[in-house]
Amino acid sequence: MKLSHNLQVFRAAMKMEWAQLCANRAFVILSALAAISLIVMVSLFGLTGSYAPVAVINQDHGPFSRRILEAMDHAYHSFALKFPPPETAEAELMSGRLVGILTIPNDFTAKIEHGETANLDMRVDNLNVDLTNDVQRALPAAIVANGRNFPGVRVQMEEHDVWPHDTSYISYLVVSGLALDAMLIAGILGALITAREWENQTLKMLRMTPASFAAMLLGRLVVAASAAAFALMVALLVIVQIYNVVPASLSSVLLALSLCVIIFVCLGACLGVLLKRTLTVVPLMFGLVMPFYVASGALEPARFDGEVIWRLAHLSPVYYAVGLLEWAFHGLHVTPEPIYMDLLILLALALGSILLALNRLSRGRVR
Amino acid sequence: MRAIWGLARLDLALWLRSPGAIAASLLPALGMGVLVAVLTNSVGQQPVALVVQGQGRFTERMARLIKGDGDAYLLSEMSAGDAEQALGEQRVAAIISIPENFEGAVTNGNGIVDLYLNNVDIDLSDDIRRSVTRSVAEFDAPQLGLLGELHGVAAGENLPNAYRISVREQDLRETNVTFLQYQVIPILILVIVSSGLLGTALLTARDFSRQTAKVMILSPASRLSLVLGRLLGGTLITLALVTPLVAFGFLTKNIPYCADDASPPLWLKLILSGPCGWILPVPSASHALALIALLAAVTLGTVGLGILIGMWIRDEKLVTMTGLNMAVYLFFLGGGFTTVAFLPDWIQRLSNFMPTKYAIDGLRQALFYPDLIGVGRDLMVLGSCAILSVALATFALMRRWR
Repeated sequence: MKLSHNLQVFRAAMKMEWAQLCANRAFVILSALAAISLIVMVSLFGLTGSYAPVAVINQDHGPFSRRILEAMDHAYHSFALKFPPPETAEAELMSGRLVGILTIPNDFTAKIEHGETANLDMRVDNLNVDLTNDVQRALPAAIVANGRNFPGVRVQMEEHDVWPHDTSYISYLVVSGLALDAMLIAGILGALITAREWENQTLKMLRMTPASFAAMLLGRLVVAASAAAFALMVALLVIVQIYNVVPASLSSVLLALSLCVIIFVCLGACLGVLLKRTLTVVPLMFGLVMPFYVASGALEPARFDGEVIWRLAHLSPVYYAVGLLEWAFHGLHVTPEPIYMDLLILLALALGSILLALNRLSRGRVR
Repeated sequence: MRAIWGLARLDLALWLRSPGAIAASLLPALGMGVLVAVLTNSVGQQPVALVVQGQGRFTERMARLIKGDGDAYLLSEMSAGDAEQALGEQRVAAIISIPENFEGAVTNGNGIVDLYLNNVDIDLSDDIRRSVTRSVAEFDAPQLGLLGELHGVAAGENLPNAYRISVREQDLRETNVTFLQYQVIPILILVIVSSGLLGTALLTARDFSRQTAKVMILSPASRLSLVLGRLLGGTLITLALVTPLVAFGFLTKNIPYCADDASPPLWLKLILSGPCGWILPVPSASHALALIALLAAVTLGTVGLGILIGMWIRDEKLVTMTGLNMAVYLFFLGGGFTTVAFLPDWIQRLSNFMPTKYAIDGLRQALFYPDLIGVGRDLMVLGSCAILSVALATFALMRRWR
């Protein structure tokens, strides 16, 4: 009797939430748009993380100048070589469109053939230290690749990788972007459910009903989670179809993503109960997503950013979600904790959030 | 005039009493500031373990070269076992190992330095590969190290090395701008866009949703005064947020833990986040004027746009969501997080339509460059956008309040 009654309440809550979502279509659409926008925008960062644009003024055209240019092309994704006329190169460097200009002198090949040392002239726009560092480190790498068989070279580097293949930066970024999306969309939709009770002043009525609070809340959260899952499926489709990032295991990705949605909807519901206003929840979520994103191992494993940041990252649910999704998508372990631990912590957070939300909602309830 | 000032003061007071609106304006920008601070700590240097297994002068020299490249590594010397454990626990991203037989191998011309790399993504992996390759290259060609590149050879001179190529680097500028300083400019623009756009849009939407617009229309003040009052109110809201931030940016070097030579612990840097790294250079008079003109044009442009959005949407929740979405696009496509010039052509073309691009370019030029090349164009674009948005907002609001 009680179970069937609770099921009735659950279904009614689902219907009511569906009606609410339909009435707020524009808001839901804008939330989904924000999710896709964020993925696209963070991937822009990935596009400029490598391939610094460098103009080459080649006055030599001998075999060794060609070899050094080939070596630069293959020097760890470092250079996007361009070959404009000198005046254009100068203008582009001065207007910040190039990181540097490399000049290969006309006696370059001749000197190397005679066993002498030739000079490469590099003018660097050292405004941005990060890019300057990349160029300063990549040029010796190209020179080494070019001359590793010359007599007199006594030491070489031998690389042993932990993972069988490299993961491109964008592939890595967009997957962690999915965790960010899950937090943003599912969190906002979850928060709306609970904050609305205070905004519309319906909480008093809710507290007077004899129906189960848990059934009511779960029914509504299921609808919010479904809407969030739909938006995330669109984002996933964008990642697979447009970014060509193919999951190692689609079933693992779908499972991990669904879990993330459920967990973030619960966390959102808790946040809505604590803040009680949509107008505060939405910007707070927007404000939190980017620092959470970066500090949670979204650009590289969080522990590489230092022990302090790594410890702080444990406060962010995105840290565990990124760990779960990177494993599901690429088979990578980006948290030192095992994947099952990430999952357990996320589930514990979800459970804790739901209990806290229920406790706050039912406080002062008439029985 | 009194009516204009009265409405502007009312708007400012209303906004100051709306924690939700203040949160909407500030939180995304502050979040981005923390992000940039975190990012600054994570770019450039990577945690690496150095394992020295052999002994002898070549081994010591190789180890010294690796240890000397403090710009590239956060190096910890460990035993092989400890390093392996650290790699597994992600305390280090790579192990550089100088093997036991290094001395003999170098004497025979086939020395190997092993790199055990957690190649989780190419950005991190390539940074380490480049750095280790440079350190290894320095062994046979000292001029390929950073100091060699910067100060190695004078024009026309040559120092022979085994790779037969050396680099003569010429830096375009005398001073290097830190990544944090470089990135703080877009954050400032994001604060202006968020507060100008969202603050004004929320106030305008509230007038319609709560019907307070009718009360204002019934007042004896002219329509134009009301419109100008709203514009001034939006501008005051933005200035109330931006002025202390900019002032703080110029004053940070006088604050303990924020000065150039201070080395605060990482956790403190993170708490101070954006402000710690602002340390903005004090500009000359002409650069300061350009700076003020640019900031004023962006503020007016966003305030006008805020009125248009508020009038069009009229729902506070939707206004917040739309405003935040717009701020995200304006920020990222304007070059907030990246250098637009290094992006694909189609994004660069799209970026040309983003006023924030001109604002970011102009402010960086005025603050970090010795001349004002391009600032005139930036000011013209931003000024035109400001005039257009203010004119449209005035026209639309006067029609609506008729």
